[in-house]
Amino acid sequence: MAGFMQRVMPLAMLLILMPACGPSNEGAVTGQADSKKPEVALIMKSLANEFFSTMAQGAKKHQSEHSDQYDLIVNGIKNETDLGQQVALIEQMVAKKVSAIVIAPADSKAVVPALKRAEKAGVVVINIDNQLDAEVLKKAGVTIPFVGPDNRKGARLVGDALVARLEKGDQVAIIEGVQTAFNAQQRKLGFEDALGKGGMKIVSSQSAQWEMEKANRIAAAMISENTALKALLCANDSMALGAVAAVKAAGKSGKILVVGFDNISAIQSMIKDGRVLATADQHGGQLAVYGIEEALGRLSAGKNGAGNRETPVDLITADSLK
Amino acid sequence: MIKVLKSYSGLAVFSVLLVAFFSFKSEHFFSAGTLISLLNQIPALTVIAVGMTFVLIIAGIDLSVGSVLALAGSVIGVAIVDWGWSLAAAVGLALLVGALCGTVNGAITVKWAIPSFIVTLGMLEIARGGAYLVTGSSTKYIGNSVEGVATPIGVLGLSPAFVIAVLVVVFGQLVLSKTIWGRYALAIGAGESVVVYSGINPRTVKIGVFAMSGMLSGLGALFYASRLGSADPNAGIGLELQAIAAVVIGGTSLMGGRGSVVRSFIGVLIIAILETGLAQIGASEPTKRLITGFVIVIAVVADVYRVRLAAKGEKKLEIRS
Repeated sequence: MAGFMQRVMPLAMLLILMPACGPSNEGAVTGQADSKKPEVALIMKSLANEFFSTMAQGAKKHQSEHSDQYDLIVNGIKNETDLGQQVALIEQMVAKKVSAIVIAPADSKAVVPALKRAEKAGVVVINIDNQLDAEVLKKAGVTIPFVGPDNRKGARLVGDALVARLEKGDQVAIIEGVQTAFNAQQRKLGFEDALGKGGMKIVSSQSAQWEMEKANRIAAAMISENTALKALLCANDSMALGAVAAVKAAGKSGKILVVGFDNISAIQSMIKDGRVLATADQHGGQLAVYGIEEALGRLSAGKNGAGNRETPVDLITADSLK
Repeated sequence: MIKVLKSYSGLAVFSVLLVAFFSFKSEHFFSAGTLISLLNQIPALTVIAVGMTFVLIIAGIDLSVGSVLALAGSVIGVAIVDWGWSLAAAVGLALLVGALCGTVNGAITVKWAIPSFIVTLGMLEIARGGAYLVTGSSTKYIGNSVEGVATPIGVLGLSPAFVIAVLVVVFGQLVLSKTIWGRYALAIGAGESVVVYSGINPRTVKIGVFAMSGMLSGLGALFYASRLGSADPNAGIGLELQAIAAVVIGGTSLMGGRGSVVRSFIGVLIIAILETGLAQIGASEPTKRLITGFVIVIAVVADVYRVRLAAKGEKKLEIRS
């Protein structure tokens, strides 16, 4: 047994250490790119979510138009919150020796160690959609660039559009996303920025876990409890759809304004006819493409590390859909 | 009659206590508006709980109801929006899809004597995959054509969906306690081998129970879609656990052989009161989860004592509660 260990251990050590030889390995990646196309792995959250499937489709389209420049592997996880599966995907992609990973993290903290290992193995890592926690990145001693929209700014735009339609002191309520998610927190903060500036009174703020039906129930309860409620601010459009149904069921159509976020296809008819006042479009179809472009740029330049890039986010109202 | 009322009294007292608590804690919980909105929210869970009651009574379990609801709902959405079908035709297809999923569950369970837990776990994945496939993973907005079912009518403000759900509860209870088929279901749950020795084939009854559970999930899909005006492929995630909780709170045994549809309905009401009440007092997410969990456990423990007391009082084994 001891003899076996003695023979195997150095080999194992070598295998573990080899990818960690920083500069030489990065050279290897670029060298590889010269001989053959780099391979980019796109790791998403749930592809069952329209937002992420649109994002993945955008990426696939981009790849087919630039098929001479890179290859693409797209992977998603089953549930939005299935961290274990996403970490396993990262490890598989590293084992597959992809050149770059573009990831929409399921959790802004827990995937950092796996991504750190990926970077150490010489993989270019780009963070899209849900920004990794700055504190955790700092503690882990790793810099992973974020390419994506400012969710707080987007929510502020939506909030401002709503505030313009209300009177000072009006009662409003927020329907939040999953409270542990960074983008959910940012959107809530963005809503609060706008509401605070406009002098609105936030009477309730609860999470509906990004889900339509849950939002419907919570919105119904908020409407029953706060008879003077004037607006519901929803952190995504699915929840806004649920809220619209609750407003209608309570017979308060037109009296309670609803805003959302994401600009999914199902929301657009509601924006046109006024059941939803506004939403934010962060160009979901392009989000992964921005990340892939950044990764390709870094691969050809042979550099890794800092440098966030902000992508556009636009306010969508009935006027902008005309 | 008195005995029947007695068997409902424990749960009824519990729901009244819950209502009293939330009325005290919240400004507008105790109002007609809240009550009506609560009742109009539960039709889907109600009909699914009816199916689940029968499944638990035959000592099975159906984990696929939430996914089957999503698949059937997706079918309604695609049929109306993309194929231009009428609501009636779309609903017919959805019920068929639901019944088919249930029949497959039942047939596989019976044919290879596999625990329904694992068969329906498989169906949970299959039907969810189907829902994503059918809708292309995006929410289908249906609009007016489907919303009528959930739109409150009459002086009471109750929706047709709620009325249908209550009829399903009444019908389900009658089938369970007044028909031979219902008796067989209870007997299968109490001891399947005895049923076999009595010369009765339990297989068709079992397949029928799963088919019914699937079809009621399809009906639940209609209620769901009509309330939200949309078909959501992510609908009903975790619904199976809510349904099982409601049925078990209602005193139906997970071991089979004992159960009541009406009591399952009260279980649904208790869960709905909790959800609405907690949202109305603006409880935080962790608080909601903690309280819901505790209430489920307390309700079930209380029910164990009720059964013991009943058994002591009557000094005989009760098959039907």
